[in-house]
Amino acid sequence: MSSAQANVDSGLRRSAAGVFGALIADTFQEARARWLFWGLFGLSTLLILIFLFVLKIDLVAGAISIMGIEGTTRALDVRAFVLRSYSFIAIFLYIWGTLLAIFASSGLIPSVLEPGRIALLLSKPLNRPVLILGRYLGNVLIVALNHLYLVGAIWIIIGLKTHMWEPRFLLAIPACLFMFGVLLCVVTFIGVVSESAALSVMITAALMVISAILAQRKLMMRALSSEWTRDLWQALYWIFPKFYDLATVMMQTVLFNRDLDWATPLWTSAAFGLVVLSGALYIFSKRDF
Amino acid sequence: MTPEYAIETVQLGKVYYSRFRGRKIPAVNDVTLRVPIGVKFGLLGPNGAGKTTFVKMLLSAVHPSSGTASLFGRNSQDPEARRPAGYLPENHRFPTYLTGAGMLDFYSALSGLPSGERRRRVPELLELVGLRDWSDVRIKKYSKGMLQRLGLAQALIHRPRLLILDEPTDGVDPVGRRQIRDILDGLTGSGVTVFINSHLLGEVEAFCEYAAILDKGRLVLEGKISSLTAGGGYRIAVSYLPEQALAALRKAGAAIIPTGGALQVQAATCEQANEFIDTIRNAGGLIESMQASSSSLEDVFIRATQAGKAA
Repeated sequence: MSSAQANVDSGLRRSAAGVFGALIADTFQEARARWLFWGLFGLSTLLILIFLFVLKIDLVAGAISIMGIEGTTRALDVRAFVLRSYSFIAIFLYIWGTLLAIFASSGLIPSVLEPGRIALLLSKPLNRPVLILGRYLGNVLIVALNHLYLVGAIWIIIGLKTHMWEPRFLLAIPACLFMFGVLLCVVTFIGVVSESAALSVMITAALMVISAILAQRKLMMRALSSEWTRDLWQALYWIFPKFYDLATVMMQTVLFNRDLDWATPLWTSAAFGLVVLSGALYIFSKRDF
Repeated sequence: MTPEYAIETVQLGKVYYSRFRGRKIPAVNDVTLRVPIGVKFGLLGPNGAGKTTFVKMLLSAVHPSSGTASLFGRNSQDPEARRPAGYLPENHRFPTYLTGAGMLDFYSALSGLPSGERRRRVPELLELVGLRDWSDVRIKKYSKGMLQRLGLAQALIHRPRLLILDEPTDGVDPVGRRQIRDILDGLTGSGVTVFINSHLLGEVEAFCEYAAILDKGRLVLEGKISSLTAGGGYRIAVSYLPEQALAALRKAGAAIIPTGGALQVQAATCEQANEFIDTIRNAGGLIESMQASSSSLEDVFIRATQAGKAA
């Protein structure tokens, strides 16, 4: 082997990190070309503009200023108003933002698996899981940027308007992003197994609803008559991601700054996501294309 | 240890199963093939012969059901084995949102080419395939011929030691074919092994030194094309050929065609025929006859695939 070839070979090995970067950058480029990127940021901008418009309405602006110039009691009302606004926006973002992000991301895994595209990607010197993980991370980063933009802008707008800077609202960014990351594992799994974006969205949306139903376990423990159905309900509750529980904890924290149990919904959901993502990577590694 | 072959498969097989009944569908069957380093090798076969599955197993897009495939002595399941390989797939679908330059940059990054090297190589390769003026145009605007040339540039960009091309001129007009052939001719003497999977016999005959024919997933013939098509060559009919003689003949570049229960060994010259006879007899093989022959690759192909049908 010539020395030039040897240099190229050693250079090739050094740039393994570049491979991951290339996959993430490619996800961004595809999201941009499919207008998903612009769609998400466009909708976020629209929400921000609507929010600005609402704050400009005389009634709201007047109420804020009246509350602001009155005494301590009124100042507390302003604070309650701001916190309520924050929690409403956080929940809105948590539910609709996540659903929208899932919808936007659902096509990005199946597109890689198209015949004629996947064979070439697999011929490259990379481990198969890297290919899927690169896509996964690219998706998460796109949504992270969007959440930063949307939540950050609303936080700044409310802060400037009311002079109340409540950093607790910013918890919505990691909370929403975390749940999106967990649900994206499901999207990835369904995408790898079925190569269908529509099915990914359907199943993930159903999972969000099921998780919310399962969270009503205290009520169900009383309603269910047999021991085994109660056990089954409990088991399913613990297996599925805690979409509803995390929303509750986030809202309560933003609204009342209560010291609540974040750990349980986080680690159980993360465990679910990890298992599902590992399953997706395993199936992808074993599949023929 | 320096590897002897660019591609080596040992009893490589792939069986698919039908989805509902689980019926076995063998796509590739016990293929043992060795492609020496630096040669131009053509893999031929009728539609559905298992050529693309075979190529995909070489590059690990399809997992073998049996046997092994290695590139430069390394099992192809190991990602590092694929590092020295460049690949142009059949019916490729490059991301249409990328420009020509962007596409080359992306795939070369996946091949592990450092960014500085990529900045240098991308324009070089676009120039080589005649697409420099199109570098900033999105791929969706490219014609079929341009896409094939771009695909070839993609396969070449990281200076591979092995180039695997699956139907490289499929759907390309004669001018485009000529351009692709010219680019591949430019690799002569570079030490790059070129492995072409094609159903275009004339193309393989014109470009390759070696060829193999797959039929119904089985390797029915392999050898030097000059031996296979030897005008004024010789055909030795062998009714019994021990394994070591078979290996020795293959190593010497003999084309071996199974015909019914026997074998035909093709030799290009009288001297080569005598060498082959010595090899067969020394190993205890049984020669039935020898006769002068003259064939085109098409004749050889038809004979080989018809023999498969008769069997």
